Amino acid sequence: MSWVHGLRDRLRTLLHPGERDEELAEEIRFHLESEAARLTRNGHDQATARARALERFGNTAHVMQATREERGPSTSGAPMHDLRWALRALSKQPGFTALALITLALGIGATTTAFTVLNTVLLRPLPYRDPVRLVLMREKTATGAIRPVSFPNFTDWREKTRSFSGVASEMFVWSQTVTAGAEPLRATVMGVSSGFFSVLGVQPLKGREFTAEENRLGGPRAVMVSWNFWKTEMHGRAELGDIRFGDEKIPVVGVAPESFRFIDDADLYYPHERMPGTCRSCHNYLVIARLGSGATLESARAEMSTLSRNLVRTYGTDTEAADVEMIPLRDFLVGDYHVMLLIVFGAAGMVLLVACTNLVSAQLARGLARARELAVRAALGASRGRLARQLFLESGLLSLGGAVLGAAVAFLLTRGVRFFGAGLVPRLEELRMDRSVLLFTALAGVGTALLIGVYPALTLAAGSPGRLLRGSRGSRVTVRASVWRLLVGFEVAMAIVLLVGSALLIRTLHNILSADTGFQARGVVTAALAPGDSLDLPRFERLRAELGALPGAGGAAFTNVLPLRWGDGSGPVRRPGDPLDRNWPAMAGFRLVSPDYFTVLRQPVIRGRAFTSADGAGAPLVAIVTPGIAEKLWPGENPLGKQIATNYLFDQWLTVVGVVSEASSWAMPRGGQNEIFTPLAQHSRKIEGRIVAVIRSNGNPADLMPSVRARLRSLLPEVPAKLGTLEERIARSAADRRFAMLALSLFAAIALVLAGIGIYGTMAYTVATRTHEIGVRMALGATPHGVRMRILGDAAGMAFGGIAGGIGAGLFVTRYLQSTLYGVSHVDAIAYLSGAGALLLAALLGAYIPARRSSRVDPMLVIRAE
Amino acid sequence: MAKSEGELLPGTFDMLILKTLSLGPMHGWGVSERIERLSGGVFSIQQGAVYPALQRLLRRGWVTAGWQVTENRRRARIYRLTATGRRRLGAETAWWDRARLGVGRVLRAPIQER
Repeated sequence: MSWVHGLRDRLRTLLHPGERDEELAEEIRFHLESEAARLTRNGHDQATARARALERFGNTAHVMQATREERGPSTSGAPMHDLRWALRALSKQPGFTALALITLALGIGATTTAFTVLNTVLLRPLPYRDPVRLVLMREKTATGAIRPVSFPNFTDWREKTRSFSGVASEMFVWSQTVTAGAEPLRATVMGVSSGFFSVLGVQPLKGREFTAEENRLGGPRAVMVSWNFWKTEMHGRAELGDIRFGDEKIPVVGVAPESFRFIDDADLYYPHERMPGTCRSCHNYLVIARLGSGATLESARAEMSTLSRNLVRTYGTDTEAADVEMIPLRDFLVGDYHVMLLIVFGAAGMVLLVACTNLVSAQLARGLARARELAVRAALGASRGRLARQLFLESGLLSLGGAVLGAAVAFLLTRGVRFFGAGLVPRLEELRMDRSVLLFTALAGVGTALLIGVYPALTLAAGSPGRLLRGSRGSRVTVRASVWRLLVGFEVAMAIVLLVGSALLIRTLHNILSADTGFQARGVVTAALAPGDSLDLPRFERLRAELGALPGAGGAAFTNVLPLRWGDGSGPVRRPGDPLDRNWPAMAGFRLVSPDYFTVLRQPVIRGRAFTSADGAGAPLVAIVTPGIAEKLWPGENPLGKQIATNYLFDQWLTVVGVVSEASSWAMPRGGQNEIFTPLAQHSRKIEGRIVAVIRSNGNPADLMPSVRARLRSLLPEVPAKLGTLEERIARSAADRRFAMLALSLFAAIALVLAGIGIYGTMAYTVATRTHEIGVRMALGATPHGVRMRILGDAAGMAFGGIAGGIGAGLFVTRYLQSTLYGVSHVDAIAYLSGAGALLLAALLGAYIPARRSSRVDPMLVIRAE
Repeated sequence: MAKSEGELLPGTFDMLILKTLSLGPMHGWGVSERIERLSGGVFSIQQGAVYPALQRLLRRGWVTAGWQVTENRRRARIYRLTATGRRRLGAETAWWDRARLGVGRVLRAPIQER
């Protein structure tokens, strides 16, 4: 362990240089006294002995100096000394240091934040026990479409499968008015099957899961609550008590753990098996299952395929599950976000690369400006390795500072992302920086240090000291012009790729938001109401009339489900004469709407009529269909007056009175979104406690909202309401793209600015080194304008190289974006041209100041300086 | 520095100090005194030269140093050979033996007439 001794000794030298000198002096004093004592013993008198001792010792000052030199720092590598040197060099240029630190902090912070998101959403296991063994199952129709599962199929699967240690299901959330304290409130309720929590491996925080009895139709009633609901609405009380659902009091039997969440946020968990569905071709459940020991995804898939074939044999076309779609639960929860998050992460990495490139050129330029200082040090005996190490240490210090600040930036950004991104991207509510994130930041810091440090250190330290010291002008270490071009070109190329990517996403988002949805979303105010189980129709008709007549409003209507959201009902449609058990000719989604619905949404009625208030409870049952239904059921015939029935609406015969154009009812691209609209008044028992008012505003919907809210409060004081706009809903359907677009745009903007700064720095340096040349040119008759244009031309030339490279790289990289684009190709000319244009502009802006400076060179001064 | 250090072969002084310390822990004066005595006065180095050398050995980790109180109640800095130092001494001694042999053979080679 000799190096430990050595190290301790060096450390002491560093920390207490004065103390070491005193010790040495004491040691020498002791030596002289001992020697004098020996000489005295040998017969010398004291004075002579002292003089002899001194003589034999030699020059004490020399000895001390030689010993001091042997201690270290100045004669051989002393890291602390180099560190001090690097710190001093950095603090001498506070402006540069601050800019470099900010640049790196942004780069590392952005990358770390992107990694935190990636880590949370993709890499960290789901918050369930042994989550890799959890799968999600849905029905796969004969045509390959994937649908949620029907209740009878779920129970059959659960009964017959051998592959799983547990099978459970979840019914989509709905909202309902409940009373837990004094006030009624709107709560989201998730229907869960028996064993739902135990399949996920989640223990209730308090109480228990539902018993078999509670899961049976007619059994004792029970409900579970979320941690949040328990804390806020039940004030975390130990006695769980009960919650009122309308007139009924339902005991609370358990509280879910704090972090628990499955797909959607829910306030309450309700045992849905109490209300078993009988429709085998309806699609309302997601089935989750835990692979049993010995089962694999493949073996379970094979078993479930056989099982569903058997079910088809038994139930024929009653079941639409020709096969079972089985995927790991993680893939379902994270799904499409995979690509999006990798894109964002890649973009952040590119920003960091641009930041590093900037610093490489900055370090080079700075080093060249200090060439004389380096030369002096080299002449005084510092080796090349030593100089390189000191220069590298500067980069290392900058990277260290950048990483620390970057972690702080990431901490803030992460909070922002969690706040703004929750709901846009799944699992973001779990977002936090854990140990792997910090490790990532550390690695990013080390990588940055290597990227920005190695090349400048080696290049600058390689300068020959002799030449440097002797020469006056032209005595610098030179960095070839091609290196500058390469650095600037790389930055520009990266920035182009980011700009193109964000332009493509902006255009995608624009296309989505302005896509022809078949209705006019702009200017529609929505108010989601939870009136409870009993809908007082006359009262709602009055409300509708009053809302529609508000100042600034142009009509109001109700629907059970807003567009661009799955309705709770879809099912097969048949004509009179179609056998009940046969393959029915058409599938449709259902919406219950009030009169004026099509007027308010501006969804054109093509044939026949819209609903009126005459289509009430006692009147003949009517329906309005989309053209797709009409074509399938009655090709070439007039659909008006024809009869249809569906088990969704209790197999009652409905008369078609109108055809309405198809709209983007539950997905953006239209085509095949067949729907059947029926009057709300004729099927009010299907609304299940929720209804949405849509109000057409003549101006800005935000201006209309306060009066809508006031009117709702005065007319329906007991009904909770949630206001919004239809445009928001459409925007939310593109949430993942919006997230990527925002991130990419931010990164592209940073990269653009950094590229501009990079060009500025390079040009400023070039101008500074070419002052002499420029002076001579001007003496020979070049105009300031000509000189300026020449510099700008140089900058444009540099930018063009990068732009060409960037476009090439962009064409390659954006292929990975293709699946997320909508209505725009990844080779979109506008995106590339705008990206290139923005960069050219940034380049010229960056070069303008150096160019102006160059044209102010005074030729006389330059020549006299020779 | 010792004026006659040049008369020593390079590196030999460090070796001599290591050897001296292998006989037991000692202060700087003791080291210089003993080298003088053991060499039989062949080397007339200046005593102060041991201090830079000791410092060099200290930094290489071949010796350690610490303050101790001597028999006559004086504080003295005592140097002690480390395990690495002892190994180093072994290596140097072996090298020295080989070098001495080599040099000796060359010097004793018969002088030939042209």
